[in-house]
Amino acid sequence: MPQVRIVARNFMDMVASLPALKLDKLYENSFICEAILRSLPSLAKKYVLQLLYIDGPVTAKWLEEWVLPDGVSKHKAAVDRLVQLRILTETVERKKEATYLFNSTFQRNLQKHIVHGGVLPRESMPSNITVRLPSLEELDAYAVQQWEFFLLHLINSAEAEKSTNISSSMMKVFQRGLLSQRDDKEPPKLTESGFQFLLMDTNAQLWYIVREYISNCEEVGVDTADLISFLLELSFHVTGKAYNLNTLSDRQRSITKDLADLGLVKLQQGRKESWFIPTKLATNLSISLADSTSRKQGFVVVETNFRMYAYSTSKLHCEILRLFSRIEYQLPNLIVCAINKESLYKAFQNGITADQASIATLHNGKIHLFFFQTCKMQIISFLQQNAHPRVAERTPTVPENVTDQMRLWESDLNRVEMVPAHFYDEFPSKDVFEAACDFAREYGGLLWENPKKMRIVVKAEIFTQMKEFLRKQKQ
Amino acid sequence: MTPVSSKLYTDDVSLLMVLIDTNPFFWNSVKSTLAFSTFLSNVLAFLNSILLLNQLNQVVVIATGYNSCDYIFDSSDSQSQTQRVEQMLQKLEEFVDKDESLGREDSVDGPGFSLLSGSLSMALCYIQRVFRSGPLHPQPRILCLHGSPDGPGQYVAVMNSIFSAQRSMVPIDSCVLGAQHSAFLQQASYITGGVYLKPQLLDGLFQYLATVFATDLHSRAFLQLPKPAGVDFRASCFCHKNTIDMGYICSVCLSIFCKHQKKCSTCGSVFGQAQTQDSSTPDRKRKTPLDA
Repeated sequence: MPQVRIVARNFMDMVASLPALKLDKLYENSFICEAILRSLPSLAKKYVLQLLYIDGPVTAKWLEEWVLPDGVSKHKAAVDRLVQLRILTETVERKKEATYLFNSTFQRNLQKHIVHGGVLPRESMPSNITVRLPSLEELDAYAVQQWEFFLLHLINSAEAEKSTNISSSMMKVFQRGLLSQRDDKEPPKLTESGFQFLLMDTNAQLWYIVREYISNCEEVGVDTADLISFLLELSFHVTGKAYNLNTLSDRQRSITKDLADLGLVKLQQGRKESWFIPTKLATNLSISLADSTSRKQGFVVVETNFRMYAYSTSKLHCEILRLFSRIEYQLPNLIVCAINKESLYKAFQNGITADQASIATLHNGKIHLFFFQTCKMQIISFLQQNAHPRVAERTPTVPENVTDQMRLWESDLNRVEMVPAHFYDEFPSKDVFEAACDFAREYGGLLWENPKKMRIVVKAEIFTQMKEFLRKQKQ
Repeated sequence: MTPVSSKLYTDDVSLLMVLIDTNPFFWNSVKSTLAFSTFLSNVLAFLNSILLLNQLNQVVVIATGYNSCDYIFDSSDSQSQTQRVEQMLQKLEEFVDKDESLGREDSVDGPGFSLLSGSLSMALCYIQRVFRSGPLHPQPRILCLHGSPDGPGQYVAVMNSIFSAQRSMVPIDSCVLGAQHSAFLQQASYITGGVYLKPQLLDGLFQYLATVFATDLHSRAFLQLPKPAGVDFRASCFCHKNTIDMGYICSVCLSIFCKHQKKCSTCGSVFGQAQTQDSSTPDRKRKTPLDA
């Protein structure tokens, strides 16, 4: 059976699933209100703005009046989201239509923001202090390097040259679910979700790690609301500006140290005080996964002869490519590899079968959406997303014969379907045999029959009904 | 053609070009109903809310004076939110002073009219630059906050701007603050698919702006926004800049004249006799009456 994992797709989904009391407390921070507003679907944003200066409840009809017939579903989704985040409170009185009341804390905070503009709780470093700050490019490079190093460490601690400061227990938490180890002698192997994880884009990976981090803190007993509000606040700091570490509480300081290991902030030691500088990774935290504007330049060229050239010096890239291709040789700035049947089979074994539900999002507490993504699709989308700029202009970016062949190789593996079943023979008479056949057919469980030898194979699901039926026949 | 994979921005990221009418003659005339300072605080709140909706949103403000136009604010320049407002107000003040000091005699229509054509062209130039900056750009739209009456002398320039906005698929929204409807802006919004609105109560300007004009282009597909009751399609003649219902147009370059001319002042084509006298003349450069 396909295994369904329930995954909050981004920060906001996690916020939305918080209990009401915590949510109300979060809204006292105006930055969280801002981040929440930015994460809403565009129609919901419009409604918030429209209701911003309206006190008292409004009727559902008042909101619906503007909606065109095409937009009804979007309108529903927007209002549902607002109610779910407790920005609107829905009350349905008897014999009357629903009315919505705007969350007053949220409203007040946004009003204040619009009139006065937002002010961060801490000032950036005054310009009279002469400390050389890293330029934006250096900071980006630092973030990317730190992140790649972390990933490399995560999947293969032997490959990494130096150890990170992240405690091994924390690393274990992150590795949970991504790596599996059958016994101590074998090196740990990537699980299917680990495989998927590596092929995700940076924002999605970052979110996965942050989510694990938050849930780990929850287990230790730290208040998640505090942690979430600090992380969201961090995403509003200006990239590349230095902020004084002394403005943080002790707990926030220890969180900041962990974040520095992930590349979200850079710590800088001044003469007297220490500073932290948020990187792009931190400021992207509050953006939902959908708009991954932080895409880096691609590096992969796939040729029609199944050769792949990756212009990269990164060890991580090499490891990722190794997941589904055979590395032929490596030059200082170039990895040359080939996609072949064996390498892909290896990937498929790690990965998942076609049509397996891989992600379900949490919506209104119910499982709402399924994304079907096959392993092959992940590989192809990885290749497309990371295509070298020269080939990215072309369509298709990955040659069609290669994608087709990958599809064929995958379907090769799915030629045999396994169904648990029961085998029956030695029926007492032809009548009983035929009745049994009809019965099984009725339940949709008949897999195979041989009238000459009076043998049938029936799906295991209907075993109990079948047993009952045969017992009745005997009497 | 941009490949699909590189279209990374979500649908509601917008670039809003706001054209503010700073004509002192107009603002003096509506002092009792809407003071300029009230107007500015409404607009500033509106700009803040646009920037609040999405961190990739961008706002550019262009001041439309009666002698000149200028960029007074660009949200991509400054970082700090607190400096934003001060910076803009300071630039606006400088602009108004400069605008007043410029000579009035060579102004196109006289002091009562603002240079809408100028600010529209500046907005379109800015948008073109954004378009060319790369495959990743926000969706642009123009919002005219205009009060002073249409300057007939700018007819050709305004129409040209409107058509180039239409060509580059940039909607022009118009919010008319004056007492009269604006035929230019009615046509501009009609042709480019923008929203034309003349608020009934100017006290609630922010609410109008937030409800109607803050709607991003993506959401507009699902919403019923105000539609104008009628559009004034009248044109101005090229010879005396009068607004006319009926007139003559040049069959070569489509210039419009209120009176019969011997020669087209725009393209130089020589016209024959007036229309009623000789219809069998081989001279094709004959003027035909303009259908209103």
